[in-house]
Formats: sequence, C-alpha cells, structure tokens
Amino acid sequence: MPRELEPSTSEKTFVLEALKQKLRIDGRDFESFRGLELSFGEDYGLADVQLGKTRVLARVSAEVAKPFSDRPFDGIFQITTELGPMASPAFETGRQTEQEVLLARLIEKAIRRSGAIDTESLCIVAGQKCWQVRVDVHFLHHDGGLVDASCIAVVAALQHFRRPDVSVEGEKIIIHTLTERVPVPLSILHVPICVTYSFYHGGEISLVDATLQEEQLRDGDMTITLNKFGEVCQIAKAGGLPIGALALLQCARVALVKVQEITAFIQKRLEEDQTLRTRRDNLLESTAENPR
Amino acid sequence: MSRHELLSPEGLRIDGRRWNELRLFEARLSTTTAADGSSYVEWGNTKIICTVAGPVEPKMGSNRSQDGATVVVEVCFAAFSGNDRKKRARGDKRVQEMQTALQRTFSEAILTQLHPRSEILITLHILSQDGSVLAACVNACTLALVDAGVPMSDYVVACTAGSYFVRGGNNPEDEGEDPLLDMNNLEEADLPSVTVGTIGGGEKITLLQLETKVRLEKLEGMMAVALDGCGKLRELMDEIVRAHGNEVVRRIAL
Repeated sequence: MPRELEPSTSEKTFVLEALKQKLRIDGRDFESFRGLELSFGEDYGLADVQLGKTRVLARVSAEVAKPFSDRPFDGIFQITTELGPMASPAFETGRQTEQEVLLARLIEKAIRRSGAIDTESLCIVAGQKCWQVRVDVHFLHHDGGLVDASCIAVVAALQHFRRPDVSVEGEKIIIHTLTERVPVPLSILHVPICVTYSFYHGGEISLVDATLQEEQLRDGDMTITLNKFGEVCQIAKAGGLPIGALALLQCARVALVKVQEITAFIQKRLEEDQTLRTRRDNLLESTAENPR
Repeated sequence: MSRHELLSPEGLRIDGRRWNELRLFEARLSTTTAADGSSYVEWGNTKIICTVAGPVEPKMGSNRSQDGATVVVEVCFAAFSGNDRKKRARGDKRVQEMQTALQRTFSEAILTQLHPRSEILITLHILSQDGSVLAACVNACTLALVDAGVPMSDYVVACTAGSYFVRGGNNPEDEGEDPLLDMNNLEEADLPSVTVGTIGGGEKITLLQLETKVRLEKLEGMMAVALDGCGKLRELMDEIVRAHGNEVVRRIAL
C-alpha cells in the first residue's frame, strides 16, 4: 500500500516552531482560508473548486428512476466520492481506505442528512417515478482540506444545476429537453459549508484550512458544518486531542463568519455565471442566420 | 412538531425522567472469561458487551509501531438490536465511522507509549440500541480497558444531550429551548442531539459528534448539560470499578 510521504523531522520542527511564533508556512494567519477559486462548466451542474493547490470537481446529473419503496414521495439524492491516484499517489483505486469512508460520511452528513436538498420536490409520480440526482465528486489534486473543498464544490454544483422540466398528463410523463422549456433549478433549502480545524500544541493553536503538510503534523481535528443562518448541521470531532468546550464554541463562532463569506462568494460567482449565460443566450437568439 | 409528546407540561420526559436525569446506568466487569478484560453495560435499554484483548503482538505488520501500542476497535451491531431486524454489513460506513471515532478517542486516553510494538484489540457487541449508542460504547470500552489493566490517563466518559423546543401556548414568554440530558431512541429520532466524550469527566472534550441541525446558540447549553452528565457518569463508573475491585480482592483473600 503506498503511503503519503511523511514530513521529515526538520520540516516538522520548523512548522511546529513557526506555529508557536504565530506564523504559518504559507504566510496566512490562523483563521483564514487559502485563496478560493470557483468556476463553472459549459453545462449546468459542473463546479470546479480550487482551494490553494487542492482542486475538486463536482458534477451533478439527474435521471428518472423508481423511488425507494419505503419513501415513495421522495426523490433520490446521492453523493459519490472516490479518491483516486490522480489526487495523490497515496490513494489507490478500488480499495476504500478509512480516510475515504470518513470523507464520504462527512459530506453525506453535511449535505444529505442536513436536508440541503428538498427531496420531495424531486418526486414526479409518487411511488413510480422520481428524479435521481447524483453528485460525483472528483479529486484532482490533494493538498489538504479535501472535506472543505468538496463541500463547497458540491453545494456550488447543486445550486448551478438545472434539471429538465417535466409535465405529467395522466399516465404519460413528458420530459422536456433543455431547448424546449427552460430547465428548473433544484429546490435548495440551505447551503451547508464545512470548516475544518486542526489543533496543535495541546490545543493552544487551532488552524483553519490546513494544508497537507499541516494536516500530517496535527494532533487533532474537528470539522464543523454550518449554514449562513447560524444553524450547525454537523460536528465531527472523532477523538484526538482533548479541547476545552469554550475553545470549541469559539471555533464554531469563527466558523460561522467564514461560512457567511464563502456562501456570499459562491452566490456572487453563480450570479456572474448567470449573467454570462443570459447574455450568450440572448446573442444566440438575436441572430437571423439560418442553420445550413 | 413530533408524533410523541416528548416533554409533558409537568416537565417529565417520555420515560418519566426530568431534563437533567440520566437513565439507569448499570455495568459489570469481567463478564467474559476468555478476554483479558470485558464489561457489560446496560444504559436504559441500550445494552453492550465489550471485550479487550491486549496488549498482544499485532497480527498485521502494519499495526506494529515503535512509538506505542496500536488501538484497534471492532464494532458489531447485532441483527436483533434495533427496531427492525437488520444485519449490518462489516463495511457499513456508519459502523466504520464509529470504529474510527472510538479508536482515535482511546488512542489518546491509553498510555500507548508504554506498550510499543503491540496491539490492543477492543471488540464491541451492541445487543440492544436505545439511543446514545456511541456514548454507551465509549463507556463500555473504558470499563473493559480498566478490567484488562490497560494503563489510561483517566476514565473516558461520554454522554449525550439534546435540545427540546418548548411551545409557549398563549404567552410567548414561556417559549424557549430546554436542554435534555441522555437521549433515548425516541428523543434521538425527533430532536437534535450531541454526543460529548471527555477524558476524566473534566471540561476538555475529546469526542464531539452532532448529526442533526441545531442553532449555534443552543450548542453551548447542550454541551454544558452533556459535560455535566459526563461528570456524573464518571462517579458512577468509578463506584462500579471500585466495587468490582473490592469484590476481586475479597475473593482472592478467601
């Protein structure tokens, strides 16, 4: 099994000593994210997130399926994540590592279990037909903060996605193509954003958005998911260094500010993309040229 | 809000407890003879058997570390433990997540550096689930580790707390959220709940899990109540361990 290259002893001392002097290797302060970049693809529902060097791509697709028999009124919403060797040579395809399971569970809890998507709106005919919305998360480069980056990618892609419109006439279901009718966005109830904290030096130092190197050297971590309304969707601190309750609450409060910033950033990018699309569509419609 | 009235107007919960009361916590040590240490915990209707083997020589080379013992946790949900008979596969993500959480919690609490190149295997069998399963697992592990004589810095104790929305009826002043200590299955299904694990019942939190949506302001109250519960549980567990110790000494003396 290939392993991630561990930092050497001198690197380790350097990073940890620098943290004691309130310095991070990349010059950020303790409570700031790396540069966040978000772009959308040509089609609806493709989001590409770059958080520093970490790069995650999320693709949303929808198809008509039969709902689960125990939930006839709900559509199906799935998120799949796979860590492949593209992100880092330490990841293998096929075998699910512990890290991968935890990552999948975290994103699942943060987005699916917190009810970010109104699955009832995905129902077409109760018990027979519903939309199955799938989000495939691809990791293109791993430099720490996979949870945070993939969460941003998933929520951005979901907000960007448009599904074809459907009309039901008696027994017949008509799915209108994207050119036939204006596609409909998913009904999104809230936008959860994950913030991961890393703890060092017995919990005295807590960092937001650690890089891979910082992640390897940390003593403990905690991922907290919030939305901009100040609702905590999920907290996961699976063991590790004991941290005082007040310090954890302080982390949560700082996280809320970060979440509001990121949500606003995603919103801004979505609007920019929308204006671009409208302008392009208007241009296409305004040509008098006939197709040859 | 929910199908059941989870808190009566008199302030009693569905099983007759008040908001700050724990369910009956009973535990026995040395229940399995084959294991180095074992415990049986009944917390309300949540029932768990825990066995500890170790420190032993690791079976797998990858679990051999020069720095200290490796903690391996295996969780097994009995098919009959929940409301519906359901067999959980070994690779179930929720189970794996629980295993990792327990493993990381106990790697922190156990003085692993005293047993380099060895492995401590903790096996949990959940016989009956009635809320606070992860917390009960932590407590069962602690007792089994104490029984096995594995050196730990202190008791690892975990407890849950929830938050109940009180409807004021005619006067809005009565409205507010009430924290509830130690959630059972019905409460966990309808209310937000948080699992808090501490080493030694102090205010330092090692395990924190929240899976349902809750307002940030409510979190502080819930955590305070859960920490208080951890303190109480620590005393209970200490009593159980001491009683068991006295019993063992008495038997040897006879």
